[in-house]
Amino acid sequence: MSVAWQFYISTVLIYLGVDVIACWGLNLQFGVAGLVNFAYIIFQAAGAYTAAVLTLGPAKPARLGGFQQYIGGAHLPFPLPMLAAGLVGGLLAAVVGGFAIRRLRSDYEAMVMLVVSLIATSVATNQVGLVNGPNGLALVPKPLASLVNLSPIGYQWFFTGLTVVIAVCVYWLVHVVTSSPLGRTLRAVRDNEQAAAALGKNVTGLRMLAFVLGGVIAGISGAILVEFISAWSPGSWLYPETFVYFTAVIVGGSGNNFGVMVGALLVPVAFLEATRFIPQFGPPGLIDALQWIIVGVLALVFLWFWPRGVIPERRRRFPVAGEAGARRSPLRIGTPR
Amino acid sequence: MSEPAGALLTVSDLHREFGGVHAVNGASFAVPPGRITGLIGPNGAGKSTVLNIIAGALRPSAGTVTYRGQDITGLAAYKVARHGLVRTFQVSSEFAALTVMENLLVAAPAQRGETLWQAALGKRYWKAHERATVERARQLMSRFDMSAAEDEYAGNLSGGQKRLLELMRGLMANPALLLLDEPMAGVNPSLARRIEGHLEDLAGEGLAMLMVEHELAVVERLCDPVIVMAQGRVISQGTMADVRSDQEVLDAYLIG
Repeated sequence: MSVAWQFYISTVLIYLGVDVIACWGLNLQFGVAGLVNFAYIIFQAAGAYTAAVLTLGPAKPARLGGFQQYIGGAHLPFPLPMLAAGLVGGLLAAVVGGFAIRRLRSDYEAMVMLVVSLIATSVATNQVGLVNGPNGLALVPKPLASLVNLSPIGYQWFFTGLTVVIAVCVYWLVHVVTSSPLGRTLRAVRDNEQAAAALGKNVTGLRMLAFVLGGVIAGISGAILVEFISAWSPGSWLYPETFVYFTAVIVGGSGNNFGVMVGALLVPVAFLEATRFIPQFGPPGLIDALQWIIVGVLALVFLWFWPRGVIPERRRRFPVAGEAGARRSPLRIGTPR
Repeated sequence: MSEPAGALLTVSDLHREFGGVHAVNGASFAVPPGRITGLIGPNGAGKSTVLNIIAGALRPSAGTVTYRGQDITGLAAYKVARHGLVRTFQVSSEFAALTVMENLLVAAPAQRGETLWQAALGKRYWKAHERATVERARQLMSRFDMSAAEDEYAGNLSGGQKRLLELMRGLMANPALLLLDEPMAGVNPSLARRIEGHLEDLAGEGLAMLMVEHELAVVERLCDPVIVMAQGRVISQGTMADVRSDQEVLDAYLIG
């Protein structure tokens, strides 16, 4: 395979890893706990900024040749910026959840989230001292680049491996939640909050838990992305990006981690990547503009005709005593309503 | 009202306004252990509001709810439930995308693996506990003749089956006092009789219940004592025969 193709394929795989991780986080919030988080992308952005700033080192004043201003710069060794990104994503979720999840019902909650997303973009753009305003951050050093000392294509594959390792860890986390009694209780809260509360479930606490976990995962996905592309600006996380992830979760099968992975493969990667191979037609920028329209249409078509997605939430069966373990619950597709 | 000796639940001088309307206006009564207490009255009498206040779904504007000598007024609904006061809803409130079995498992209190840390310990930590809960759920299903629907999504059940599931789920939560909001609303007469039989059996086993019900014939067969509410107050209580002969009760039902 030519080096150019290797670059292309490894890049697509890394993007896929980032999108799969992000979609798992959103699925935990939306698919499992029923939280309509239209601000999901800001948690990814917060993680990306955190990882960038903690890798870049302290900002240099402009008179010393510094070309970007930001707060809290530090030079931390590799895994720490990513862990900090998860922490910041989770903390931001705790703050946003504190006023949006505790007090509001889901339709209002969705509106508040959308507004939060717009405010966050506006703040990051206009408070130049915070994360360098509209220009964003650039030249973020690649993690472990000096240590592993590989050729550029070698490093690409190294980073791909790193992404896979992180994705496996995140999968473990979401699987542990969704396959346990905790996941069942979260799905109960999603289906009927009042009834769950009447059975002794702390609905607010459970919703906050799912929201914060989703925030942590989004933050980590942002950290991988920024360490790979080395740059991050408000244009990277406009609110429509959230809807790409929502579409991926809905198309793949909300509530099913495997389905969501397929959704991430289909929507942000296959679907949007395919447009790269369409010959240019019409005025410049037409294909980019059509992408958003197509994502929207895709979400609508699925919500109308296949609301449970390509690989729907699994029906859980429980083995009868005596044949325990002998019968693996089959993946059966059915309609709950 | 002074607290009657041996009462499980005591409600005293409860008030609740909705924008100037006094839905509950000084209601006081006591619920004895081991029996089905009926709460009746014409539409708008405040029965459901009282039930909602006891269950923690609404806060009273004044008054107290005492359960086994403990003041539980204004506690959050989930904390009330953890005290053993479990309610069912007038409109079926199944977890639609969960199976019947899962609906029951969710209701079990103090499950292993229901917190993040316990879930992170893995299946090995909670598997045995879960298996015991599954067994208990199966026993309940066979008692209520619902075994065939174990793996069915609750959202696909018939209206009558949903009422049974509502009751089963309440029982799965190990209630000390079951609060029933019209448990037979909208079901056919033969299923209503079956539910009635189940309630009678449960009372026979010593489970205390407080039931809001419109069908007076059912109340007469099941409930003792009966509490009659009208316009947010308790206007009469005693056996069904007592309250039937009460002129105020007759007036309330006739005038509405």
